[in-house]
Amino acid sequence: MGKVVGFLVLLAGLAWAQVPLKVGVILPLSGASAVSGKAALNGIQLAADEANAAGKVRLELVVVDDGTDPAKAVPAFTKLMTVDKVDIVIGGLASGVTFALSGPVKQYGPLFLVIGAASSVVEQAFEGYPLFFHYHPWDYHNVAAALQFFQYLNREHGAKKVAILYEDGPFGSAGIGVYKQQLEKLGYQVQAEPFKAGSGQFTAILTRFRAFAPDILYWIGYDVDALPIATQARQVGLRPKLIYGAPPSWPIGFEKNPLSNDIAGMTAWLPTVANAESRRFVEAYRKKYGEVTEEYMAPMGYTILKSLALAAEKTGSADKNRIAEALAGLKMPTPFGLLSFKPSDTGRTKYQGFGSEIWFQFQYLQGSRRPVFPKEVATRPLRYPGEYYLR
Amino acid sequence: MELLLQTLLNGILMSGIYALVATGLALSLGVVGIVNFAHGEFLMMGAFLSYLLFAFRGMDPLLSLGLAFLAAFVVGALTYQGLIRPVLRAAELNQMLLTFGLSILLQNLALLLFGADTRVVAPPYQATTLSLGPFFLGVVPFGAFLLSLAILLMLQVFLTRSRFGLAMRAVSQNRLAPGLLGIEADKVYLLAFGLAAALAGVAGVMLSVMLYASPTVGFVFTLKSFAIVALAGLGNLKGVVPAALVLAMAEALVSTYLPGGGGLVEAVFFLVLFLALVGRAWRKA
Repeated sequence: MGKVVGFLVLLAGLAWAQVPLKVGVILPLSGASAVSGKAALNGIQLAADEANAAGKVRLELVVVDDGTDPAKAVPAFTKLMTVDKVDIVIGGLASGVTFALSGPVKQYGPLFLVIGAASSVVEQAFEGYPLFFHYHPWDYHNVAAALQFFQYLNREHGAKKVAILYEDGPFGSAGIGVYKQQLEKLGYQVQAEPFKAGSGQFTAILTRFRAFAPDILYWIGYDVDALPIATQARQVGLRPKLIYGAPPSWPIGFEKNPLSNDIAGMTAWLPTVANAESRRFVEAYRKKYGEVTEEYMAPMGYTILKSLALAAEKTGSADKNRIAEALAGLKMPTPFGLLSFKPSDTGRTKYQGFGSEIWFQFQYLQGSRRPVFPKEVATRPLRYPGEYYLR
Repeated sequence: MELLLQTLLNGILMSGIYALVATGLALSLGVVGIVNFAHGEFLMMGAFLSYLLFAFRGMDPLLSLGLAFLAAFVVGALTYQGLIRPVLRAAELNQMLLTFGLSILLQNLALLLFGADTRVVAPPYQATTLSLGPFFLGVVPFGAFLLSLAILLMLQVFLTRSRFGLAMRAVSQNRLAPGLLGIEADKVYLLAFGLAAALAGVAGVMLSVMLYASPTVGFVFTLKSFAIVALAGLGNLKGVVPAALVLAMAEALVSTYLPGGGGLVEAVFFLVLFLALVGRAWRKA
């Protein structure tokens, strides 16, 4: 009897020593960004399992779906604040949705750990908010990383002409003018044409591009456009030396399609990244979900929850302000490299996690994506010109 | 000149699929008398069937065409029997709300089953191209165009030469009189609605090769089909092919010759719909 009581006291003591933390998670589990949202949630849940198993914090996740829609996101966020009464929220994947949440976030004042929302408009909206931690690089980081690649193509491969196909919504057209100017500064001739995402009709524009004879066909759009562009470029006889795409996610099965061969793009992470944390993440993910993901939002979600658990462990408290303080001084290895917070480049927000250094360029090759640029992360040389040119 | 001819060629090739999808819509509108907002979802089913057979059975989409025709026909017939038939005498608004609801239901079912991801197939001939002098012709769009024409010709033969086809045309002209001659309108409706769905299902397989399969792939084709049907004259089957040609050409020309035309191309069918409806209203007045 005495032993049982002792054991119970020990258990109670352990539970007492754990920091209980109720965390709201608001992600797009439906709508246009559902693929990234579900991947992010998988990463978050995996990290929560690991943190709870370690025993120093006791995390409870309250998950709501923002539907990739501001009209759904605001009530879902309000529920987290008023019904679930959470003090810490992880979310903000799509820029439009996160922008809409800026008012309610400032009203309720949670510690807001933002997983995506790369648009600088979001940076402006959260200017001065003290508990805003933005992990994902901003759009100017993305542009800087892409331009570095284009500079390399110009310098090393003599690329001179870029044809840009951009979708005419906020995602594709925001900053296209600046982008064009930057490419021209690098010495490129640029021809840019808008298109309607999902229309699948590129033959006319690609036919016009044929007269321009671009070295690079650069497409800024969504996953639905990937295959039509790859096929129709061939069908109209367009032969760029590189097809470069920048969608938020790629279609399922695209890597198995021979037409994807040598198409390049940019990402922040791939399961093949040679980094100890990344390898550990891939193994843990495979063990829990029985598959490997290529969505970089999965390790991003994982990183956010890991950093939160670590900060809570350090402070031994569930107080959002103390956790924010601990997060601000945190330095931890992640699948993307080292994470530490510093003010954003524009100085508008105080806590910016990653910058352009996490982006790298990949190329599809026989069923998988391989890092090709910069050289430090490349696992194979860039194939330039690609097979769509050589055919 | 070369650019113009290539543009016209692109337009002609696209018109085949437009005509195939719109003919289905015209059938359900002209024969059954129902505005079917869920028409594009039959197309989506065809696209997913093609994807699933390719991904899990390695089946070439060409072989899926027949299966998609049959499967979509059965789903269309069941939809008619279970949902459309009970509201045939209801107010038009009720019918439209029903098909609109069905469209949302089917899209969400697809979302639930397959997620929002875009899925693609990869037959070996997907990007094969014929070059005719300075002109390029994608084998898949060209094949889809020829197949659409062949199916529409068969449909024409069916409608003009077979008993059922003649019955269908009779019912489309007058709902009551054929009954006096012993034509069972209900069976004709069932066949017409099933056939409409089957045509969309076949178009879905073609689009799985040309574009992708996703829960919303059919929506834009429903909208374009409405523009074509309005231009052809509501329920006028013969006018569908030329109307589809007009829309496809207009899209190709806008896309090629208007500055920023690629972004405007999806507005063309709105303009066509608008002009067709206003033009008709003026003629009547």
